[in-house]
Amino acid sequence: MSDPAVKLKGLTKTYGEGALAFEALKGIDLEVARGEFLMLVGPSGSGKTTLLSILGCVLAPTRGEGFLFSEPLHGRKERELPELRLSYIGFIFQGHNLLPALTAEQNVAFPLELRGYSHRAALAEAREVLGAVGLEDKLTSHPDALSGGQRQRVSVARAIAGRPPLILADEPTASLDAQTGAQVTTLLKDLSTERGHTVIVVTHDSRIFHLADRTVHIEDGRLVPPPVKE
Amino acid sequence: MSAKVAIAEPIRGRAGAVGRWRTLGAIGIKMMFFDRLKLAGTLFGVVFAVVLGNFQMGTFLALLSKNRMFVEAQTDVDLWVTPPGTRQFQGGKPLNDSHLNRARALEGVAWAEPLVLQTAQLTLPNGGREPVSLVGTRAPRFAGGPWNVVKGEREALLTPGGVFFEDAEREKFGGLNYGSVRELGGRKVQVVGFTWGLLPFAPAYAFAEQTLAREIVQLPADQHTFIMVGVQPGADPVAVRAALQAELPDTRVMTRAEYLHEILVYIVTGTQIGLSFGTSTFMGLLVGLITVALSMFSSVVDNLRAFGTLKAIGSTTADLARLLLVQALIYGLVGSLMGLGMVAAMVSGMRNPQLTPILPMAAFGITVVLMVGVCLAASVLALLRVRKLEPAMVFR
Ligand SMILES: Nc1ncnc2c1ncn2[C@@H]1O[C@H](COP(=O)(O)OP(=O)(O)O)[C@@H](O)[C@H]1O
Ligand SMILES: [Mg+2]
Repeated sequence: MSDPAVKLKGLTKTYGEGALAFEALKGIDLEVARGEFLMLVGPSGSGKTTLLSILGCVLAPTRGEGFLFSEPLHGRKERELPELRLSYIGFIFQGHNLLPALTAEQNVAFPLELRGYSHRAALAEAREVLGAVGLEDKLTSHPDALSGGQRQRVSVARAIAGRPPLILADEPTASLDAQTGAQVTTLLKDLSTERGHTVIVVTHDSRIFHLADRTVHIEDGRLVPPPVKE
Repeated sequence: MSAKVAIAEPIRGRAGAVGRWRTLGAIGIKMMFFDRLKLAGTLFGVVFAVVLGNFQMGTFLALLSKNRMFVEAQTDVDLWVTPPGTRQFQGGKPLNDSHLNRARALEGVAWAEPLVLQTAQLTLPNGGREPVSLVGTRAPRFAGGPWNVVKGEREALLTPGGVFFEDAEREKFGGLNYGSVRELGGRKVQVVGFTWGLLPFAPAYAFAEQTLAREIVQLPADQHTFIMVGVQPGADPVAVRAALQAELPDTRVMTRAEYLHEILVYIVTGTQIGLSFGTSTFMGLLVGLITVALSMFSSVVDNLRAFGTLKAIGSTTADLARLLLVQALIYGLVGSLMGLGMVAAMVSGMRNPQLTPILPMAAFGITVVLMVGVCLAASVLALLRVRKLEPAMVFR
């Protein structure tokens, strides 16, 4: 059967309480099909990161319903969330967020070890995925010895290693120059198509919009139709 | 979207507890070695605590041993009859022949011997003087006689004017040699032997036959500093002690073990020594605790993003605790081994018997266990910080 990869119904998120309460998401309805490459676009402060955090199971929604591959992500206990992340999510962050003390292959391997891979199997998979992103000669380099584009490619490798069904990327090209950003996104698109990942990319970067299967716009905590341009 | 591609499925595999210890522990170790400066600083704190603590305790044990060495060495003495109120190995109001005779007559007593112990002045060739703690022991049993003898036979004490001196004090005593003739308490004596390491807190022990010793310190033949008692084979020293104490109510009678214990209690509670060494040992441990705690905490703060990433990717707080505990364990183990190595090297470099710290084998085990405990306790601060860490921070 083909439940969507992501299904959100009336999802809200309120930060803070009482007079300080701030509603960052005001009722989001969204479906993302399995294998879709979706871009989430909107101005700064519109709620993109909040939405991605809820999808990534690092933040609980306030109201409404959310499902990842039919598994509910609302109403979960805090201690169930790490499990959900391991099952479903590969993350790509704005800053690469690689562990500086680990080599490229160790950075890619450790999430696999948490998922029960033996050390040896995790390293083998890490090397293979790093090969797929074109870093076969940087396996044992530490992040501080890599260029920005190389680091972000290690991030891509870490996110797709082990084939989690959903890849979430928050402004993955923000710290890269335009050309490198487009290259990394193209790589992510090709690999996820090849490997059957569903991908949601938050971005400002209009140069990569054409890579999306679909683009969703968010403004002030609500999904809106794309702005009309002349 | 290509319809033919198999859609990725949820990942159901999970590491077990062992796997998580291994994975997170390995990351913890890599993080430690990545920040070499912090590693060195933390280890320095642990090493400092180990060196300070062991030196303090070792010096305390050396002090204790100085105060107990005489009683400890006389393994064939079962009971000590001492002046009332005695808490150290030090004479008081002398005992007399009546005490000695009543002790000898008591059921269960095999033998009783008087001991003379008093300070005497040794005249140096340059006219100066040095005190010795002169022990008068009786032939033929020589109870309370010289031990750790490095030169001479104790029977040589029977040669007229024969005295044993402490080898480590030969320089101080004006270049004393075997056969040297000196004046001790106004009486000509000759060096007929040397002991090694008999340096109590009082002046070094010297040994003479009792008649000579009495002459030197001018103690009448019917007065004694202590009376040493051996019990009959098969008799219970504790029972004989009780009977002897009842027989000699104006003395204090202790078994050898009781006397040793009494000296320990006296040093710990009756002097400032226990407090002073206890305090500095505690300070050492505290320094270790604080150094490790601050360094682990600051390491977490420096690496908040890395810890947040670990959490976001699917590590639990318990996983991060594993990481920190492995780090603490390694700080404790490596730090104590390095510290103990330094202590051992320093102590073996100190060949002088004046106040070389005494390090029993148990000190090594105790140090490792204690320091690992301290380091584990020190990781609590860091643990509290990672517990508070929100995984959502990684998107900020
Ligand atoms: N932890 C928080 N507490 C309070 N307000 C927050 C918090 N995180 C985000 N916000 C607010 O929610 C709104 C949406 O933030 P965010 O999701 O980061 O937007 P975007 O990623 O689109 O820039 C912003 O106005 C922001 O200030
Ligand atoms: Mg954002």
